[in-house]
Amino acid sequence: MTSDPVIKAVVWDIDNTLLNGVYLESPEQPPAADPVLAGVLMELAGRGILQALASRNPPEAADYVRSVTGARFAAAECGWESKAAAIGRIAAELDLPADAIAFVDDDMLERAEVAAALPDVLVLTPEDAAEAATWPQFSPAVVTAEARRRGELYAERRARQAAASAFGGGRDDFLRHVGTRIKISRARTADLPRLHELSVRTHQLNSAGEPVTEAELAGLVESAAYQVTTLRLADDFGDDGLVGAAIMTGNGAGEPVPFTAMVPLVMMSCRALGRGALDALLAWMCQAAAQAGATELAVPCLITDRNVPMRLALAAAGLRAEAGAVAPDGRAIFTRSLTGDLPALPEWASVEATPWQATP
Amino acid sequence: MAGDTMTSDPDDVATQLRQLLADVTGRPELVDVPASTPLFGGGVGLDSLAGTLLLRQIQRRYGVDVAAEDLNLDSLQTLGTLTAFIVDRLGTG
Repeated sequence: MTSDPVIKAVVWDIDNTLLNGVYLESPEQPPAADPVLAGVLMELAGRGILQALASRNPPEAADYVRSVTGARFAAAECGWESKAAAIGRIAAELDLPADAIAFVDDDMLERAEVAAALPDVLVLTPEDAAEAATWPQFSPAVVTAEARRRGELYAERRARQAAASAFGGGRDDFLRHVGTRIKISRARTADLPRLHELSVRTHQLNSAGEPVTEAELAGLVESAAYQVTTLRLADDFGDDGLVGAAIMTGNGAGEPVPFTAMVPLVMMSCRALGRGALDALLAWMCQAAAQAGATELAVPCLITDRNVPMRLALAAAGLRAEAGAVAPDGRAIFTRSLTGDLPALPEWASVEATPWQATP
Repeated sequence: MAGDTMTSDPDDVATQLRQLLADVTGRPELVDVPASTPLFGGGVGLDSLAGTLLLRQIQRRYGVDVAAEDLNLDSLQTLGTLTAFIVDRLGTG
């Protein structure tokens, strides 16, 4: 791999990124600066890396951020149009190519839009940015092995984005073109810490919306009544490892056939968004449940404005809820019949999971 | 909203939606997609990411929050159903 371009400017979002809250929600006393990110900003500025703001806020928000961070910003774009347009103007103003710019935003969709429109920009979550000061892109001189690996992950992602925006065909053609590999396996004890982490960190692609502890997961992995299934994702750009999982169980004692296969949790890292991984996992769940004798698959899903991507995947896999059937706990149960045609697994998915046995 | 792109004419909305679809999927050829082609699956291959970006653009442009109003997202079956859903909301709004 060629060396990754060095970052010369960082463009920061304001709400819930540089500030610990939303500027316009408390006009009398706007939120304080995030101490970690403000520290990173000053550290990077000290290395000569330019700092800039791109925010959906009135221009006063930039003045406020200047006053609470003490930072000097080389450019500030506050307004209501897209972040990609704002970053384009900042790049022009600072006379920098897109691959010399990093963008930090807490909102997954803002990040996705910038990544799609400006694939050369290094797009980071606030969590990424908190440790980015150690990455080679930001500090060519001081690099640990772990920091190098993290830096490589982002270089891989950027290379994948650039390839995607240059590719003419549909999504499946692209996934095939870049050698996408999906491996579906039964969860093992060694997977538990990562599964717990995914249950905490995934929001957009999480049906349950509740963290699961390692102890709870261990109990599920050992229980004959449950099957915990993992999904690993890789392609020619890199290996993302374990990015998703599903928990399946029957609907009660004895499992009279026919029965409904229940899915207390299905989750996927947003790293896997747009790469067919959740669709493949849902297809496998339908097929495994049908083979075990289930005639219906049921996924209770929390209805929030954050996990719309999960609902889109459920709809694409043919699951539907009863209209208006959102329970008092905020969930609706999405179901589909397992008779007739089932969603197909892509040919780049391999299955190592032992067949699901709904009953011990 | 007083922008000159606001319209509740079904043909205009369909044309704008085709352009949004082409933008969020990165596939310019989708500006010609037939109204009856399924958006999920084989036809257009709309996935979670592209679908979410599309809904977000629709909310920005028309002020219609499809995800909040359509639990099952059945309005995303085809370009025709999506157009009808939005025109209906614009007409009553």
